[in-house]
Amino acid sequence: MNIQRVVSDLVATHRVGPLQEKSLRVVEDYKGGLEVALDPVGAKPGDFVITIATTAARHAAGDPAITTDLTIGGIIDHWSEQRWRD
Amino acid sequence: MKIFRVESTLVATARIGGLQHHRLLVVQERGGGKQVAVDPVGCKPGDWVIACGSSAARDAAGSKEYPSDLTIVGIIDYWDEDHPGQERAASSANGETRR
Repeated sequence: MNIQRVVSDLVATHRVGPLQEKSLRVVEDYKGGLEVALDPVGAKPGDFVITIATTAARHAAGDPAITTDLTIGGIIDHWSEQRWRD
Repeated sequence: MKIFRVESTLVATARIGGLQHHRLLVVQERGGGKQVAVDPVGCKPGDWVIACGSSAARDAAGSKEYPSDLTIVGIIDYWDEDHPGQERAASSANGETRR
């Protein structure tokens, strides 16, 4: 799992069936690289979150049939930009 | 499996139900960046640990459905970062135990 920060919501109306109507967020890593993660938690822009990758992302989404390789697993209570970049 | 050093515990109150109340730790890979691992073992900050990824991480965390992509599977008894992978040094071989 990695520590990433939510940048924004992502709207993608036309999508494949197994992705269902799940919320998507753009997240960044500490180097500024952007990825898209499925968000079952309800994270807001600026939140530091734990993201789960590989097949565990599908279980984290609540249904192994959902086609995701990155899912937000939780919102970190206390984290700082300093600790993130060190 | 890869070798990590435990940095701190991680508190995430708002989490998906599947993660349950398992302990999460911030770990740092040797020469790499920080990641978050599930800790079914009970590690302290500063411990050197081995952790596995992919589907083995889910099994190691307790069930095939558990949503972990990095799970700690053991604490290394002795690790000398200056001489990685070498035998226990003489100082700790004469009866002194680390844990």
